[in-house]
Amino acid sequence: MPDQANDFLKDYQAFAQQSWDTWMRYLQQPPGVSAPFGFAPPPAPPADDFLTRSLASLQAYGSWLQQAAGAGATGQFGNYWQQPAAVQPFLAAFNQPFAQTVAGLDSASAFGLDQQWRSWLQAMQRSGLGGMGGMAAPAPMAAFGITREMQLDQQSIAAAMHEYAQINGRYQTLLQQVNAQGIERLQEMLKEHSEPGKQIESLKGLYDMWVDAMEDAYAKMALSDEYREVFGALVNAQMQVRKLQQQQTEQICRELGIPTRSELDSLGQRVQQLRRDVQGQRQQATAAHASEVDALRAEIAALKRELAASASPKPAPVRSIKSDDNGKHSTAAPRAKAAGSASAKRK
Amino acid sequence: MQTPLHLDPQQAFNEVAAFQRKLAAGMQNLRGLGEQQYANTPREAVYREDKLTVWHMQGGTKPTAKVPTLIVYALVNTVWMTDLQDDRSLVRNLLAQGEDVYLIDWGYPDGADRWLTLDDYLNGYLDRCIDAVRKRHGLDAINVLGICQGGTFSLCYTAMHPEKVKNLITMVTPVDFQTPDNMLSQWVQSMDVDLFVDTLGNVPAELMNWVYLMLKPLRLNQQKYVGLVDILDNPAELKNFLRMERWIFDSPDQAGEAFRQFIKDFYQQNKLLKGDLQIGHQPVDLGMISQPVLNIYAVQDHLVPPDASRALKRQVGTDDYTELAFKGGHIGIYVSGRAQREVAPAIHQWLRERS
Repeated sequence: MPDQANDFLKDYQAFAQQSWDTWMRYLQQPPGVSAPFGFAPPPAPPADDFLTRSLASLQAYGSWLQQAAGAGATGQFGNYWQQPAAVQPFLAAFNQPFAQTVAGLDSASAFGLDQQWRSWLQAMQRSGLGGMGGMAAPAPMAAFGITREMQLDQQSIAAAMHEYAQINGRYQTLLQQVNAQGIERLQEMLKEHSEPGKQIESLKGLYDMWVDAMEDAYAKMALSDEYREVFGALVNAQMQVRKLQQQQTEQICRELGIPTRSELDSLGQRVQQLRRDVQGQRQQATAAHASEVDALRAEIAALKRELAASASPKPAPVRSIKSDDNGKHSTAAPRAKAAGSASAKRK
Repeated sequence: MQTPLHLDPQQAFNEVAAFQRKLAAGMQNLRGLGEQQYANTPREAVYREDKLTVWHMQGGTKPTAKVPTLIVYALVNTVWMTDLQDDRSLVRNLLAQGEDVYLIDWGYPDGADRWLTLDDYLNGYLDRCIDAVRKRHGLDAINVLGICQGGTFSLCYTAMHPEKVKNLITMVTPVDFQTPDNMLSQWVQSMDVDLFVDTLGNVPAELMNWVYLMLKPLRLNQQKYVGLVDILDNPAELKNFLRMERWIFDSPDQAGEAFRQFIKDFYQQNKLLKGDLQIGHQPVDLGMISQPVLNIYAVQDHLVPPDASRALKRQVGTDDYTELAFKGGHIGIYVSGRAQREVAPAIHQWLRERS
């Protein structure tokens, strides 16, 4: 019977892989191409496209499912407690999805320096600046001759890359520790599910528990002092490599009369400072105008008050009644009226 | 002892086959779905400067609130998390409550913005945005709702310009940047930020996304997509998933100088908490914040741990400080069903009591 199960497993794995490959080819085609299985699939495009990389995690899960199901077919589930060693290959199947996920993230991010480094080496070799080797330790050769400066630059980059490779090695070791600790954590968690009714009854259930265990182990590592130190060193080492690459690129650009990033940055910095100055002057001018306007308003208000005070009704003038020689009466014009008229004119 | 794994081999194979079937059938549904749109609540641009826009969000009815509220989002990701889709929108819920809502869309910095400092952002851009809203309403002060890093900016701004802020609301906002459970903080402590910014200039969005994915690498980069297979045959859920994916990876680059200062002063030296922070030449003293403060944090936040937010209580000078603990995560506080029921009404109620 076990042979039958293994045969079935092999057939099934072949079928699943075929399905996956066919679907990947289908997804990488332009719209309008018919679905697979109906027609012969056209030639596959390059495998390393963006979609393939995005779906790498799904593929990792699919592969794990197959391995886990295979382990079940050979009876390893049942042997778990009787023969812990027998279950190790089954648990080891988890290594792949973890490694694939982390590697996928790494290559898709700006931290995927290895590939850039290879491209850089090729470009330098084509332009006659080769001789840096791979990520080996920098050669202790003394620099001399007309290309002395270039030799030194190359040695600096090679040394920086060597340091980066070493630190990246430490970083990968930590991630491997996470993997091992995650598996240990999973075993602890499984122990808590031995009672009937608590048992894991699906591969997806087991997978979800594995993710919980791995995330626990990862969080513990990621918050540790060692990880903090290695992560910081990794970032710094990579930046050092990039910086030296930029410097060498700029040197070549200057020789070819091509504007460099440093020049552009310098211009940008000056422009931004000018904008700040202009903005500051505008604010000062606005504030100055505002205070000037305020002062004028205050002055006008004071004048208005003054005028209003002088125009305010005074006690009614006592009218003197005079009699002329003919016995007719006349009234003197009040002064206030004249003053009011003058005020109105000034307004 | 029983085995914890009660897996029937035949059932296991069936599970694998079902996964393959779902994947094969569902992948076709991804074709032709196109880019998913955000909620796109009606809005009017009321102020623009360089790459930023201040939007006046418009609900179905006239706002009843007398004082408008300006949402200040982080520089990372985009403000559209607050208006993700029709039935998951903080903005729509606030409008429905009668609030008058504005928000700042910071835009996408490029090389020309590499030298923008925090002073440029806070005492420049943000100050002018707030002035624009104040002027529209003829008010001396408006309400400010700051989110995540935008909440930190809002705190700094209020401390420097208290006369322009009437009420301050902070959501998932870090104040103590060095709590032991803060993974981001741990990772940047040994980084040479000067070398980093001098080398990269602006910090690429792809790098920021990588960092966020590495906070929970398996959950965010694998388990999530395994779960996707289960909803491939559900167009509505698939669209929701893709909309969220769009938002997650729709990230602006970070202006280099502002990033340098934020990492150094906030994460590496925790100056906001210590009272040593200066933005431009102005000291930032959270004790100067005397207006009412509502501080909302998420108890399962993996980006801004609750203790990082709760530290605000000990720092602000106001006597009117309120905390609201939301049962969810950093994103769930905007998009979960619970958030739709709880967050906007709580904000509205708090504002109404202070209007």
